[in-house]
Amino acid sequence: MRKRTLCYIIGLMLALCLYFFENNTGTRAVLCCMLLFPLLPFLRKMFLSPGPAEAPMQQPVTVRNFSCREAEDSSDVRAYQQGDPVNRMHWKLSAKRNELLIRKPDSETVPEEISAKAAAPQGEIGTESIRKKRILICLSAMVLLLGCLFLIPAARYGAQALCNRLFDASEQVNAYLYDRFPVPADQSVLLASVLLLLMLLLLITITLLSGSRLLAFFIAAGCAVFQMYFGLAFRSWLCIALFALLALWMLSRPLSRRNALSLLAAILAVALAITLIYPGVDAATEAASERVRDSLSRMSQQITGTVREVPEGENETRHTHTQSLTEGEGEADPEKEYRLETVEEEQISMPEWVSYLKIALLLLAAVLLLVLPFLPFLWLNARRKKAQEARKAFASANVSEAICAIFRHVTAWLDAMGLGAGNLPYRNWAGYLPEGMQPGYDERFSQCAALFEEAAYSDHEMREDQRQEVLSLLDETEQALLARADWKQKLRLRYGDCLWIG
Amino acid sequence: MHRELERVITEIEKVIAGKREVIEKILLALLADGHILLDDKPGVGKTTLAVALSRAVGLDYRRVQFTPDVLPSDLVGFSMYDPKTGDFRYHPGALSNANLVLGDEINRASSKTQSALLEAMEERQATVDGVTYPLQKPFIVIATQNSVGTAGTQFLPFSQMDRFLVRLSLGYPGHEAQMEMLRGRQGKEPMEAVESVLTRDGLLAMQQEVRSVTAKDAVLDYISRLTIASRSHALLEVGISPRGALFLDRTAKAKAFMDGRDYVTGADVQAVFKDVCAHRVLMKENTDGKTAEDVLSELLKTVENPDRQGFLNGIFKK
Repeated sequence: MRKRTLCYIIGLMLALCLYFFENNTGTRAVLCCMLLFPLLPFLRKMFLSPGPAEAPMQQPVTVRNFSCREAEDSSDVRAYQQGDPVNRMHWKLSAKRNELLIRKPDSETVPEEISAKAAAPQGEIGTESIRKKRILICLSAMVLLLGCLFLIPAARYGAQALCNRLFDASEQVNAYLYDRFPVPADQSVLLASVLLLLMLLLLITITLLSGSRLLAFFIAAGCAVFQMYFGLAFRSWLCIALFALLALWMLSRPLSRRNALSLLAAILAVALAITLIYPGVDAATEAASERVRDSLSRMSQQITGTVREVPEGENETRHTHTQSLTEGEGEADPEKEYRLETVEEEQISMPEWVSYLKIALLLLAAVLLLVLPFLPFLWLNARRKKAQEARKAFASANVSEAICAIFRHVTAWLDAMGLGAGNLPYRNWAGYLPEGMQPGYDERFSQCAALFEEAAYSDHEMREDQRQEVLSLLDETEQALLARADWKQKLRLRYGDCLWIG
Repeated sequence: MHRELERVITEIEKVIAGKREVIEKILLALLADGHILLDDKPGVGKTTLAVALSRAVGLDYRRVQFTPDVLPSDLVGFSMYDPKTGDFRYHPGALSNANLVLGDEINRASSKTQSALLEAMEERQATVDGVTYPLQKPFIVIATQNSVGTAGTQFLPFSQMDRFLVRLSLGYPGHEAQMEMLRGRQGKEPMEAVESVLTRDGLLAMQQEVRSVTAKDAVLDYISRLTIASRSHALLEVGISPRGALFLDRTAKAKAFMDGRDYVTGADVQAVFKDVCAHRVLMKENTDGKTAEDVLSELLKTVENPDRQGFLNGIFKK
């Protein structure tokens, strides 16, 4: 539980960072997803719980705790009279005062005191249901407020303005960072990218090995980083798909119908939120991808050696264009000039590593072109070899082993034709065998299954004629099944499963 | 089917009609030297079955009707001062001289009596005042629990159910079987007709043979995988204990022996799995109406049996 919360918080932080660095469809959608994610269990509860799921409020427990009180407190004891129940005798006090005392029935004095005592720890511990109810109330209030925020026009525009302010702030941070950490113009990024790639691979390996659900988060974060750095905005449906993947990963196994339904509801909610909150986000996406296209074309120009000075005016217009999209009707801000500067820097630092990359890619392509045509043959050959080795066991000197191998081959034939009985012991297969086999096939199969069991599970010496018996069953099965196989199944038998060597 | 066991079954069937499966399972427990818990309603023939069994197998039979005031000393015996000798003399209890003990309505006994019985079952000896008295061999307890009229009863705690090899239920007979039962009791008492076809030593020898049945690693591996899978099953709070695995092995061997083989197969394990393990698992609270039997059937379906191991996805994926 704690791990999941941690995951969620990390994800949320990442999404927030992303959002402030690059305000476009993708980051907005990711943020939406992350914000809506904790709703998942509550959605499930609200829509899909069977009736009043909350446990009824527990009655305060009346605890009879006499030892807490002073023994001298004589208000609730009285002298023993004949006929009083013995189990209400106050033995301790009786022994002290040397007379038989009995506890008064605790109807008058005890209840207030005790209920007060019982209530105190209850407040501390807080029964689960109360806590859940509170959370539920807070959440529904939150949803209500969110709804107001997006349904009242003034609030909505205000929210957008607020977003833009935040975006401005992030731009300023960006500008500051560019000034603060200057990078040499012709710096190669090859080493850094290789190291980063390796690190990523290691990370994925670790998460895979540990079987943790963190992987989804890493995928999401990786995608987010990718789009932050390359300005590629994912379409909203892709973000929704990402969210679905994430949620699926986080749900408890095995997946019940109710969980799946709630997941569906959550995905719908996310989709709705994305479409409702940010209408017209496609323009921003357009601008972002345009920028990437620009830099790509500049890269290609550099490689081919036809570097062309980008006219000042063009960059300027693009710049103001993006800005007007993100900031509504705001004017061009002089502080955002750094974009222009970095573009020019990139133009200078491009050529070296790109040409290396190009050579490497060409080499890779050449190798692949050489190897690829032969791969299927290699694969087929390997399978055939394995099949022949398996067949070798049929003539093995150890008859038990041979019988096992032959009988398993029979069942593999049945499996390959989709006629096997799955994870049942072979002894019980006779009832599931295909119809239309030779008469008496069932009995022969059962007999051979018994032979197989004896060969596999006992230390008995098996006889040669028993091997022949199973072999004849294999022949019979092969012929009967081949006769009913269509060309596709034959192809698979021959090359896919390599059962039929011909 | 083993010939002598077949005869035992025929003898018992003289008094209990149409319950061959349960009789077979009880014989399995007898061969595996384990105790039996019968969970049933009153009047379905638990006592008749136990008496017929003891007669057919030639065992000494005792019956203890448990009530809240049965004391441990009634079961394991007690020492009493003998003024003539001036010494303490041991008076054997109900368990001391019996091979087959029918503990009727064990859920009515007080918990200390229950635990005395369970201790005797586990260790096959009774300790009174520091002296240990071995019980008879074989020593098998058939305990019954009534699920009707449970007021003032103490059902066996989950941890103690584990001591029983199998939990069975006779259930009501069908119309035909009941007709046959009524017809059979016109005039003479059929219990008289039950003959002893096996001796105590014969049974002991059989138990010895059961122990020497071959269980290859493939089968032991299957038992281990089944039990381990049960421990991590989503619907099970508590899975099958190592003792459960041990009992499963023993019962599967008995099953193989009963079928006249001297080696255990995966199918033997499957055949006895539910009877041996259903009372050893504890279900979680929210299980969508699934019972322990359903979960165990699911395990049998999903855990690869040794016949199929490595071959579920085609022959060459070993």
